[in-house]
Amino acid sequence: MVHATNLSKRYGRLTALHDVSFSIREGEILGLIGPNGSGKTTLFECLGGVLPMDGGMVLQDGRPLTARDRASSLFYLPDGIAPWPSQTVRWALEFVQQFFRGRIRYLTPSMADVIEQLDLEVILDSTIGTLSKGQRKRALLAMGLLIPRPILLADEPFEGLDLRQSRDVAQTLRAHAAGGRTMFLSIHQIGDAARVCDRFVLLSGGRVCGEGTLPELSALAAARSGTPATDDLEEVFLALT
Amino acid sequence: MRSPEEKRNAEHAEHAEEKFLSASSARSAFHSFYVLLGKEWRELMASRAWWVLLLVMGPLVGVSFISAVRTYAEASGLNGTAVGVGEAFSPLVGIWAPTFSACELAAAFLLPFVAIRVVSGDRQSGALKIELQHPMSSFARVGAKVLVLLAGWLVASLAPAAAVLLWRSYGGSIYPPELATVVLGHLLNAGLTIALAAAMASISDHPSTAAILTLTVTVGTWIVNFVAAIQGGVWERAAAYTPTAMVAEFQHGLIRLDVVLIASALVLTGLTLAAIWARLGVAVRRRVFDSAGLLAVGAAAMIACTFATASWDTSESRANSFPEADEAALEQVHGSLHIQAHLAPEDPRRSDLEHRALSKLRRVMPKLQVQYVSATSTGLFEQNSQHYGEIWYELDGRKVVSRVTTAEGVLEAIYHLAGLTVPVEGDAAEFRGHPLAVPPKGAATVFYRLWPALVAGAAFFEFRRHA
Repeated sequence: MVHATNLSKRYGRLTALHDVSFSIREGEILGLIGPNGSGKTTLFECLGGVLPMDGGMVLQDGRPLTARDRASSLFYLPDGIAPWPSQTVRWALEFVQQFFRGRIRYLTPSMADVIEQLDLEVILDSTIGTLSKGQRKRALLAMGLLIPRPILLADEPFEGLDLRQSRDVAQTLRAHAAGGRTMFLSIHQIGDAARVCDRFVLLSGGRVCGEGTLPELSALAAARSGTPATDDLEEVFLALT
Repeated sequence: MRSPEEKRNAEHAEHAEEKFLSASSARSAFHSFYVLLGKEWRELMASRAWWVLLLVMGPLVGVSFISAVRTYAEASGLNGTAVGVGEAFSPLVGIWAPTFSACELAAAFLLPFVAIRVVSGDRQSGALKIELQHPMSSFARVGAKVLVLLAGWLVASLAPAAAVLLWRSYGGSIYPPELATVVLGHLLNAGLTIALAAAMASISDHPSTAAILTLTVTVGTWIVNFVAAIQGGVWERAAAYTPTAMVAEFQHGLIRLDVVLIASALVLTGLTLAAIWARLGVAVRRRVFDSAGLLAVGAAAMIACTFATASWDTSESRANSFPEADEAALEQVHGSLHIQAHLAPEDPRRSDLEHRALSKLRRVMPKLQVQYVSATSTGLFEQNSQHYGEIWYELDGRKVVSRVTTAEGVLEAIYHLAGLTVPVEGDAAEFRGHPLAVPPKGAATVFYRLWPALVAGAAFFEFRRHA
């Protein structure tokens, strides 16, 4: 289990993350839900080691993880990037698989399986710079799945996907979670989150407003607002944030 | 409770496992670095800036080479011009210096953009956020880029290599040590440019900012040279280590240890700076502290390097040395020689004195002390001054004054002061040059047609492969 405690990040006078604490359980799909500007990407970048944290720590089974340690246990897949735009999707997939190949060989799915699951066959020989937003998102997700790290942090994995693609991607993520990979997904569309995640961390204004399964969060929302519990994640989110 | 033997076995097994993991980790790190090198090479191949550099390199070298060969041929007596000057001609000064000067131009104005593209590209596209999550050190990541950029520069250096082959085909003389010195100088210059551009690209958020900063530093070194020519003093000392001055010395067949060490220290400092700023996951304050520490250590190392006095004259004509008999005579002078020259920085006599005599004298007498005295930068209004133009030589309390700025005049003054007889130089030791009166046949075809066609064809093939 990975436990984040009191993570904080400031940009000058603006506090982007304020004592953020939560846990990631092995093999689960954890959803990070929050409106735009709530600090989701900042939190992921801090965890991924591409942005320095101002405070807090990450523990794995009670042992503190440095940024270097985290590099071998989790991988952060950013949103809105087009890495190596002049190279083909096929090359990029081979590159990340080879580059991140380490001593940890478990959890590495075959490239053919990932290509099939994410329907990438037709774009394999296209250059990344020429892909549409949805195609690029699927190619990036494939890269993330091919990198052999036990925990995958994906920032907005459903952004830019149509309904059918969203369902396919959700199915793929579920299949990989069932195979032992832990997923931490940042999602601002609550409908997508409800469909795929086992548990949720609600983030608003850089603070954690709640953490747990839908029934747990629903009970918390009911206790706070004094209204009956609901199984609608949107209502729960609005009640808690 | 375990027995001592069991304990020993357990320790042995633990040690063996550690050894295996360490070897496996080293193999894995090497594999990742190798994969990264491949990726950087592909990125270079996909860079339009590099193809432009490659395309331009041929005609640039061609213009310089053709012009140099023509001048060399004319001086050697082609088309009925007087023979004679050619006797003193050395291919180093007549051919290689101008031909390779095209590399200096490319290193100053084209190579920075290629380097910035390679370093900034990953940041702009977001690829850096992916690559940074590999536990590989930042220095190794920057190292991979630099190795690929140097390889790219070597490919671009095929153009001057073609000039060497053409010169050989004309029957021209090649003296490998001096040619190797010129190549080394330009390689160091390219290394400096790459390190500077990499540091700027890493520090700044945008490639255009990096380009402006890089060109600012380049122009800054030219300003140092300019100010040195007017002010002299400390500026003159600093100007000796600018890329322009460094390349000029290599082009004259002189390898100075202090210059090589300082250039290497600058390259290392630039690359480490690039590595420090490529660590996006480290707080900016920490990166600033690291950079300040690095700059302090780098500056101290560079100051220490200025005390290195060894130098090697690799030119066939011994252009940077006195005749051997004079050098042997000067080695007998054991006292501390002090020279005070009353010449202004812009006075051409000072340049003559420095380049024809004192630079050679410093190589034989490392403890030589030279002091320039002047009230103005040009010396035009000091001509009426009683001592202006005088050169005072002092050795073990004895003094002699002279106004001669030639090598012979300086040596004569020193011999007089030291009580030595002027040595006689044998005719056999004199460099007679390699005159060659041939036109640059085929060079225009190679550099203006064949080279651009080959580069354009290779670029077309490469981009089509990616399309």
